[in-house]
Amino acid sequence: MSGSIGPSGSIGPSGSRWDVVVVGAGHNALVAAAYLAKGGLRTLVLERRERVGGAADTSELADKIRVPTLAHTVGRLRASVQKDLDLSRHGLALVAPDVRVFAPAPDGSAVILWSDVAKTAAGLRARNAHDADAYAGFDRQVRALGRFLDDLGRSTPPDIRAPGLGDAVAALKLGRSFKGLGRDGSRTVLRVLPMAVADLVAESFDDDGIRAALAWRGVRFGNVGPWSAGTAAMLLGDAAGNDGGAAGETVFAKGGPGALSAALAAAVREAGAEIRTGAEVTAITSLDGRATGVVVNGGEALEARAVVSGLDPKRTLVNLVDPVALGPSLGWRAGNIRTPGVVAKVNLALKKLPVFPAAGGDEALLRGRIVVAPGIDAMERAFDATKYGRWSSVPIVEATIPSLADLSLVEGAKAGTHVMSVIAQYAPYELRGHRGQPAGDWEAAREHLGDTVMSVLESVAPGIGKLVTHRQVLTPVDLEREYGLTGGHPLHAEAGLDQFFVWRPLLGHARYRIALERLYLCGSGAHPGGGITGGPGQNAAREILHDLRGRRG
Amino acid sequence: MPQRYDAIVIGGGHNGLISAAYLARAGLRTVVLERRHVLGGAAVTEELFPGFRFSVFSYVVSLLRPEIIRELDLPHHGLDILPLDGTFTPVPEGMGRPAPKDGNGNPIGTGDYLWRVNDHGRTVRELRRWSKMDAEAYEEYGPLMVDMARFIKPILAIVPPDPASIDPRPLLPLTGLLRSFQKLTERQQAVFVQLMTMSAYDFLSQWFETDPLKATMSASGIIGTYQGVKSPGTAYVLLHHYMGEIDGAFRAWGIPKGGTGGISSAIASAARANGVEIRTEAPVARIRTRGGRAVGVVLESGEELDATSVLSSVDVRRTFLDLLEPGAIDDDFATEVRRFKFRGSSGKVNMALDSLPSFTALPGEGEHLRGAISISPSVDDMERAYDDAKYGRFSAKPYIDIIIPTLVDPSMAPPGKHIMSCFVQYAPYDLDPSLGGWDSQREAFGDAVVNRIAEFAPDLPSKILFRNVQTPLDIERTTGLTEGNIFQGELSLEQLFFSRPVPGWARFQTPIRDLWLCGSSTHPGGGIMGANGRIAAMELLKSKRRGIGWHSGDNAG
Repeated sequence: MSGSIGPSGSIGPSGSRWDVVVVGAGHNALVAAAYLAKGGLRTLVLERRERVGGAADTSELADKIRVPTLAHTVGRLRASVQKDLDLSRHGLALVAPDVRVFAPAPDGSAVILWSDVAKTAAGLRARNAHDADAYAGFDRQVRALGRFLDDLGRSTPPDIRAPGLGDAVAALKLGRSFKGLGRDGSRTVLRVLPMAVADLVAESFDDDGIRAALAWRGVRFGNVGPWSAGTAAMLLGDAAGNDGGAAGETVFAKGGPGALSAALAAAVREAGAEIRTGAEVTAITSLDGRATGVVVNGGEALEARAVVSGLDPKRTLVNLVDPVALGPSLGWRAGNIRTPGVVAKVNLALKKLPVFPAAGGDEALLRGRIVVAPGIDAMERAFDATKYGRWSSVPIVEATIPSLADLSLVEGAKAGTHVMSVIAQYAPYELRGHRGQPAGDWEAAREHLGDTVMSVLESVAPGIGKLVTHRQVLTPVDLEREYGLTGGHPLHAEAGLDQFFVWRPLLGHARYRIALERLYLCGSGAHPGGGITGGPGQNAAREILHDLRGRRG
Repeated sequence: MPQRYDAIVIGGGHNGLISAAYLARAGLRTVVLERRHVLGGAAVTEELFPGFRFSVFSYVVSLLRPEIIRELDLPHHGLDILPLDGTFTPVPEGMGRPAPKDGNGNPIGTGDYLWRVNDHGRTVRELRRWSKMDAEAYEEYGPLMVDMARFIKPILAIVPPDPASIDPRPLLPLTGLLRSFQKLTERQQAVFVQLMTMSAYDFLSQWFETDPLKATMSASGIIGTYQGVKSPGTAYVLLHHYMGEIDGAFRAWGIPKGGTGGISSAIASAARANGVEIRTEAPVARIRTRGGRAVGVVLESGEELDATSVLSSVDVRRTFLDLLEPGAIDDDFATEVRRFKFRGSSGKVNMALDSLPSFTALPGEGEHLRGAISISPSVDDMERAYDDAKYGRFSAKPYIDIIIPTLVDPSMAPPGKHIMSCFVQYAPYDLDPSLGGWDSQREAFGDAVVNRIAEFAPDLPSKILFRNVQTPLDIERTTGLTEGNIFQGELSLEQLFFSRPVPGWARFQTPIRDLWLCGSSTHPGGGIMGANGRIAAMELLKSKRRGIGWHSGDNAG
């Protein structure tokens, strides 16, 4: 395709080869690019790294040993995205173990959540009969409210300054979905969303271990503790658009999350878009408040009718957009987008499968997410540390052993080898310095943190340390440096009530159109937010196609 | 034959008295029943120590709705509010910068201070000592918050709609609100959203860098809550405390002449003038119901009173779980009531002083003692104080809001003597069991407070003639406030507006017909504001006019 007339027939800046330039090739950017190309727009994707996928990545930890570098499960990916982009044909194969969560405690007991609600309840009975009875009801509540949040997540936030007909229709749709909750349900959702997840689980459960295992998804990836308001919304958001329910999804991509990115990239190319790696966008050009293209690697200027950023909103606005075009007020607001990263990642290669006494030798229990969150107070104490610029002395960890279900990750490695992917909270982006914790220097602190995480694993899997042949520790600073996540925040922007729906990332800029005319945001910093869902990318593409195909020029 | 009234008001706190005054004003035969010998609930003045009169619990006022002052003609009934000027935050040596110097270049004291006063220019100059950036930001922040408070003020007068109801009429006031929201600039809109969702600390950090400034300003975001300054939702409480400052630019906080009991007696006098009958030492044992409607009350004395309507100004848990027979309300509603969170987190230490204490940062007597003295030197100190409470301990180094009322109202103590009122956070109602409960911890808590102040005013302990410590347990026992929560229920986001006190029941009516709520458990929440009592009375009168459940006194409506 060449010339300045797009398939849509609309006129672009003279000589521009592209209708759309997509900045970054994270999973949301790839989803958006695929839909845009399928929609007939000449689409170019520019990725700074040599690999596509962003945080949905599989990398080689050692020879013939591959690990999910950051994210380790992909179960929140929208079914409609998988279907529309035909991802299975492009090589995506999913594995969903029966066990969702295995939450061992140092005392040898464990909370186990299965995909089967009845089985879970039966298992909980030994621990607490009341909680066993409450579980099915709680699961129903999470699914009902999750469904509403999914409808919310599919919709484009309304334009509150100048509501149009489309907004009215969308509002009606949401209204119906809201009423669909029923009188009590709709009251409940308004009461529950701003709640602290600790209070939410306490309404149904007595046992601290059960409360913690369920509350974990309310604080995962956030600079919040279980007592923080709004964490109930995070839990319900995690259950939106997937069959996670109370237990949460645990779905692996064969070959790791990188395989998902590869499938997306294949879909993008098949749809006719071009992907360039090693191409860092260093500026977004604009004229009279309208985005006109990008500058690549500080030199080559590319023109396009629209620029779509898969980067986080703070980086997009503060680093790439001309501050004069942005203006002081929006610049101030963009600079205040909250991106307090508190997540560290530890990837391990293990000689053989570690032994968790709480699993009683049942290897099947280790196929899901292994969550070490002994209690609500323990989680809150782990969070407290970040308020003072320290990492938790006893962090909360979520570990997976994907090689149990997917031998391809260790193909050709020594027999019995396994990989373990560990998400650890809390480790603040900014270290203020404390006993044994050097100030502001993650380089010096990196391995201390790794040891701290290992000690938590040792407490539930004694001897695991001796099985480690390779260890990789990624700090929030690495997340920023390597993956461009401002503040090292895996969700692009904190998923707080202050950065939600109509005001994610910024009030007045939540409809995927941000700051400049023809500049769009399609990453996790946009509604409905972070995690491997493809949601923001899918929603953004819908709006972009509407703008570029609907009107002329 | 029991006495018959149009309306019985349970509880003689400020909201109960205000409701009664408005009902009687509309011609209803109204009686107020107060358990204690003194009126006012948490707004009482008592002589705890010979010659020294204390605002035992609530100690400052700024939220009292101007329309109530006007409509009930409270000044005529003796209401006189004396302004408090400024907030003085002492900062220990090392945390501030070199101690400020006097004219001859000698340090004024040890350590530093941050002193904001109502004189804007002086405050900005003072801020410049700390940070030029903050001094500039302050110029912008103040007016912005006034705009915000002005915008949200109408909400105080709105009867919250039930979002789940099919009846659109109650939503009308909201459309007006939406329209005025759309009139705001995008930035103002964004800031308003942040106020409704953010933590006080995150909110303020967008403007300010000076630690003691952020700590002191964010402190008003945690008053009466079981939250820290970094907890999401506390920015709203910040705004809640700004509301009072909007009528007549920054009519900051004041103290009523004669203590907060002065407000209560003025309202009581206005109520009586309108024909309200007020009975003290008349504790209500039970609300009588017949066929699902309230028909009166039984006093602990056994005396029965009949009424067309019963209004309860006591909190929602007491009303429905203590004053009604079990079974009077269905299980779902009872569950919602049990869910309503109180979690008192504040204590009060009242002291009689032989003479004024001297703060090392600014020694001797002076203007700086005439306003609020805030023990909030750093954000970390504020957060650590909260962390203690989260795990069931009172703060080892608490946040303290100190007032010396005798400097503006000498009548409260003998000549030359003084009263020191200390509002303290955190003091969690539920202490770690290992501590053995509040009755064994009361004085240890009092000591922690005195020691904390003594870090900044070492001579304080030597000046204490008398000390009275109010733990959340004491507040509950004396005033009846469940778990000692000063707002009759936390001002947390899920307990505001149409979810306060129970989702679907935010319109002052209850599942029991003719039983109404008029206390701080209802919208718009706590503080000596009176909006609750006023709106509840208005709603009841409106329902009468619509002829709902109306038996007698039509002619009087």
